[in-house]
Amino acid sequence: MKKITYFPGCSAHGTSKEFDETVKMVMKRLDVQLEEIPDWNCCGATSAHTMSEPLAYALPLRNLILAEKLDNTTMAIPCASCYQRMKVTKTHLDHNPALSKDIATTIVDEGSYQGKVAVKSMLQYCYEDIGLEAIKSKVTRSLAGMKLACYYGCLLTRPKAITQFDSPEYPMSMDHIVEALGAKATEFDYKTECCGASFSISNTEVVISLTGKILEMAKESGAHALVVACPLCQSNLDMRQPQIEKHNGQKYDLPVFYFTQLMALAFGMPEKELMFKKHIVPVEGALAQIGKIDPEPEKVKKPVKAVEAESEVI
Amino acid sequence: MITLGTQEKNTFLADVNRRSGANVLECYQCGKCVSTCPVSGYMDFPPREIMQLIKLGQRNEVYMANSTWFCLTCSACSGRCPREIEIPSVMEAIRHMAIEEQYVNSSAKVRSIRKFHNIFLDMIRRYGRSYELRLMVEHNIRTRDLFKDVTLAPAALLKGKIPLLVKPVKSAQSIRRMFKQAEKLEKKQS
Repeated sequence: MKKITYFPGCSAHGTSKEFDETVKMVMKRLDVQLEEIPDWNCCGATSAHTMSEPLAYALPLRNLILAEKLDNTTMAIPCASCYQRMKVTKTHLDHNPALSKDIATTIVDEGSYQGKVAVKSMLQYCYEDIGLEAIKSKVTRSLAGMKLACYYGCLLTRPKAITQFDSPEYPMSMDHIVEALGAKATEFDYKTECCGASFSISNTEVVISLTGKILEMAKESGAHALVVACPLCQSNLDMRQPQIEKHNGQKYDLPVFYFTQLMALAFGMPEKELMFKKHIVPVEGALAQIGKIDPEPEKVKKPVKAVEAESEVI
Repeated sequence: MITLGTQEKNTFLADVNRRSGANVLECYQCGKCVSTCPVSGYMDFPPREIMQLIKLGQRNEVYMANSTWFCLTCSACSGRCPREIEIPSVMEAIRHMAIEEQYVNSSAKVRSIRKFHNIFLDMIRRYGRSYELRLMVEHNIRTRDLFKDVTLAPAALLKGKIPLLVKPVKSAQSIRRMFKQAEKLEKKQS
């Protein structure tokens, strides 16, 4: 069993609880143990780097130092914003050792930074470290019939110099993952357009306009649902969707799944544990595309289906 | 009004380059950033014009523009810039400099954005973590827009989308010290 460090981020306890829960479920199934950083703090998100240069580095740095106290070489982060703040800080400090000493000794109490833990987004970890074959081998309930628009947003792949992952213009890692689950990924030109992020609260009209275009293009691509790997993208696309529909005078009806919810679904985990009830846009229409779902597939079908899935891979 | 033809050395350009790590002089004004930027339509000066104003040493115009406050740091511009200039880093540097030198754009939209970030940081100072419900409520109170998103609240709260409480970090002292030290460093820089 592999063991990695896990940074859930604040939204894991709030708006993106379903992301956090399903990450834990699928990692267990994939034989990866998650070790949470003890007493982690908020990464500072957009606000710290908007308002203060020292805070922008100090807040993530405390977590990076705490992560080094655990014995793992990799840290995986589900939230795209936490991931980016952590990776920006790491990249910056790795290239400026003097600065890291400066911030670590004057601002952060927790000790010194050595730069020995790799920082990855959960999407990147699934794609690079676990791999498509291992994901495919755990599928017991194919998502065939479901068409999905994979939405990456800005922070998972940009800037390229920081993330070093996938394409900044037209990434495909999430598309490959959902196809490994049996679904069809649609051609979706707005997959890296910004959703408006924290303007959701401070300048809602901007989010209504930007997110509206993303929903429109996803619908046009023929998708039954959107798939995301970022809590803020999810809440803008899902929670604001009824408002956007009213504003644009159009019905989109596009549920917004976290990619790990779909992994758990395809791995045959009980639907009621995937927290679909938390979604504002109802998920039933999209789920109906994969046929009738067995209420207790875990107990009844798991052994038989697991063998089937494995033989498919070979 | 923008006045050109200053004889002095362009210290503003040098300051921005130093703070951002970018070289603004590389910009040849192609405008690709403007067509790529999802929010250039909301800006007083879109990124291309900000770059030119920096080259012309127009410190006041750049600091007072809303542009840097609207930048979402999505990095779409820098990914497509043929000169590979880190435009978001430039936007960030001028924002930090404007804050440190106490330039304030008092338009309602910029005020709303600043309030949001200040409330957010205040929460981290207090709890070490963010607290979504309080953020939304406090922002409504402080922008005097009490009923904004009130129709979203029942569904979001009932579905457990937005939790009622936050679990603070244990090392609250160390977080508070971090904020104090950061403030000192900012003052030193300005």
